Amino acid sequence: MNSRAEMIDAYCVLGVDREYDLTAGTLVEAMDEAEVDRAIVAPVDRSLAVMNREGNDLMLSAAREHPRRLIPACSVNPWYGAAAESELRRAIGEGARMLVLHPWVQGYLASDELAFPVLEIAGLERVPVYMHTGQPGSSTPWQAADLATRFPGVDFIMGHSGATDFWNDAVEAAGTRENVYLESSLARPFQFAGYLEKVGAAKGIAGSYAPLNDLVFEWTQLRECVPAAMWSQVAGGNLAALLGKRGAL
Amino acid sequence: MIVDCHTHWGMAWTARDGENPARWLETLDGRGVDKAALMGHANLVRVDWCQADNDRVARVVEKAPERLLPVYTAWPQAGAQGLGEARRVIEKLGARGLKFHPWLQGFSTADPCFREMCAAAGEAGVPVIFHDGTPCYSLPEQIAGAARRFPATKFVLGHAGLLWSWRSALEAARLPNVWLCLCGPHMRAMEILCRRADPGRIVWGSDFGFGLADTIGYRLSVFKEANVEGALRGRILGENARRLLGIQ
Repeated sequence: MNSRAEMIDAYCVLGVDREYDLTAGTLVEAMDEAEVDRAIVAPVDRSLAVMNREGNDLMLSAAREHPRRLIPACSVNPWYGAAAESELRRAIGEGARMLVLHPWVQGYLASDELAFPVLEIAGLERVPVYMHTGQPGSSTPWQAADLATRFPGVDFIMGHSGATDFWNDAVEAAGTRENVYLESSLARPFQFAGYLEKVGAAKGIAGSYAPLNDLVFEWTQLRECVPAAMWSQVAGGNLAALLGKRGAL
Repeated sequence: MIVDCHTHWGMAWTARDGENPARWLETLDGRGVDKAALMGHANLVRVDWCQADNDRVARVVEKAPERLLPVYTAWPQAGAQGLGEARRVIEKLGARGLKFHPWLQGFSTADPCFREMCAAAGEAGVPVIFHDGTPCYSLPEQIAGAARRFPATKFVLGHAGLLWSWRSALEAARLPNVWLCLCGPHMRAMEILCRRADPGRIVWGSDFGFGLADTIGYRLSVFKEANVEGALRGRILGENARRLLGIQ
């Protein structure tokens, strides 16, 4: 890597299913074009809801093929109980560096005790939790704040910063705890920059949510909107620090 | 021609520019947008600001009538007074649409007064445009429920379901009087909506004007970057909007 800020895309979905059609090779090509160094890869919705292991194995496999570019996330549906805990430990043991929870897709309320066991494991294993937010009722910024209060040792990345209609909650909720971060995808770069002014650069994390969004376009827009003084932290520095808690990438 | 079917004269613009749309229009110019459906902002926030803000929108439009199409609102919770305001903006102010934001304005689409407003809009040939994608009163399926009751009225899902309800919007748009405004869904959702919905009932919008930020650049670029067939893209940006808003 050169001396410029390392750029890490916090959320890309790898796999082919319904609206998803991203392969590892296509993703790396887009990253090259956007000069993104690394990307977190997460499973498609179906593998968040069910078939967790299948999705996790696909991420681990892709990361093994592109060890310098792709960082595997994993997911388990808390409804699987002990099996979810077991699968989470296995996936992390094999290299997963982030836990993805999508309460709306996985069918539970974000702050439901149902998810507490897997959050405890995330804390023990020192992997950050990417939680999709913005889905009314099931996953909101304040639910993320509540979880961050209950689990002070877990880093929560508020996926999409509560977009769309929880934009007015995201900043205040993120400000309540040090272990809550705002992620940019779907929050629109022009709006996300405004959040950063309020919560500070140390809480911002850039992501594209490719292929639902175009990775190159989103990163171009982010570069235009995020203040230069904040760029290195938001583009990758903050996320690298969270991922690094478990050890070097 | 590019028509932006979802813009606002926002409170931030009033605070900075009064009722002068020159700088607002400069943003449209910079993005190649020819015309815009202009809604209020203050009138969606407080019932006691409704009439005054409707009048403000009318005065702003008067400064650029060749480019701006006025869209007003009324408050169903205000009962007969609200219905009177709906009739006033249709009959006296030349409304090209009625805008409703059920969760901001605090009413259900089952509200009897709202139903009368929908009927009045339909009789006048004025489309009814909604904020949608948000519970508990603004879901696409709820708006489609109202559309079922008033088949002669055009109902526009002003955000095509936003980020999380776009599949519901797609289903709602099977009704022949429900239109989709691509203003909020992500790129892939736009592509699917364009592929599956009636190509004659899709328009595009930016939500520009709620704040001072230029949202047109991003939202127009997302739509242009999306994998949408060229002729359809042209219809969505121009011809469909012309039919919806009655642009000659």
